[in-house]
Amino acid sequence: MTTAHAEASKEEFPHEPEKATLEGRNKVLAFWLFLGGEAVLFGTLFATFLALRNQTNEGPSANELFHLPLVAAATFILLVSSLTSVFAIQAMHRNRPAVLRNWLLVTVVLGLGFLILEIYEFTQYVRHEDFGMTTSAFSSAFYTLVGFHGAHVAFGIAWISILIGQLMRKGLTVVTAPKVYVSAMYWHFIDVVWVFIFTVVYLLGKVG
Amino acid sequence: MTTDQHVPENDGYKHRHRHEGPQRHIVVFILSIVLTLIAFAAVAAGGVNATFAVILLLVMAVIQVIVQMGFWMHLKDKGNLIPIIFMLGGFFTAGTCIVMSLYWVWWN
Repeated sequence: MTTAHAEASKEEFPHEPEKATLEGRNKVLAFWLFLGGEAVLFGTLFATFLALRNQTNEGPSANELFHLPLVAAATFILLVSSLTSVFAIQAMHRNRPAVLRNWLLVTVVLGLGFLILEIYEFTQYVRHEDFGMTTSAFSSAFYTLVGFHGAHVAFGIAWISILIGQLMRKGLTVVTAPKVYVSAMYWHFIDVVWVFIFTVVYLLGKVG
Repeated sequence: MTTDQHVPENDGYKHRHRHEGPQRHIVVFILSIVLTLIAFAAVAAGGVNATFAVILLLVMAVIQVIVQMGFWMHLKDKGNLIPIIFMLGGFFTAGTCIVMSLYWVWWN
């Protein structure tokens, strides 16, 4: 009875499937090193932006340019998407692939919403505010920093979409689970970077 | 809300481990929303002393990032010393770049 139960337990899906294999644990650890490197990369872009943010070259300043409601909406969307990716990982830990897939889908849709808002924002700046990449040192630093974050969001959307397809073909296993976990870590990191962007770029831009 | 004890639909065996529920993550979410609202409100209201606003905004951002990395990225859990060292190393280097850059602009 007890041995039979023990054998059945072995076949059960592990509690944290992303850490059930050495390869999975290594992937998660290596991804932390990558995120440390990403922090440095964004740090240099923030440093450039902070140094150049008042060099407007007679173009629009941060205070004239930014509309807080749009930024607030983008912030809310990305924050909710970070929560939905938490729910995705919780569904994964409970071995519920369909729930996991649905939360990942919601995350991707919210990510797309964020990206659309950002594209709309940039288009408005270029078309109606004469604020292009080469307008001023401020504009170059702004588009490089915020655009680089947007590129990360776009990459995350593509990545998680591909993972959803892979989950549907191969199912949730100890091989696919670390991939999903690592993509969720990436998505949270994107949200963390955005916290600093809306603070340092938009809100401090309004304060002066 | 949902039960912490997971009973799988297919194999009929009860798992002995406990899964954490969504409650804690929803608390982190609400806290993040509140911190964000305080930051936006302080700027939208206007009339706030600029130096005070800058400090307030940065403090709100740092708290939110620490809470999200702790709970959503599970850095608060045991066995995460190396990831924390990686991230602190990254943030330290990033901070060095920012200080250097501001030093150039402000005092040269």
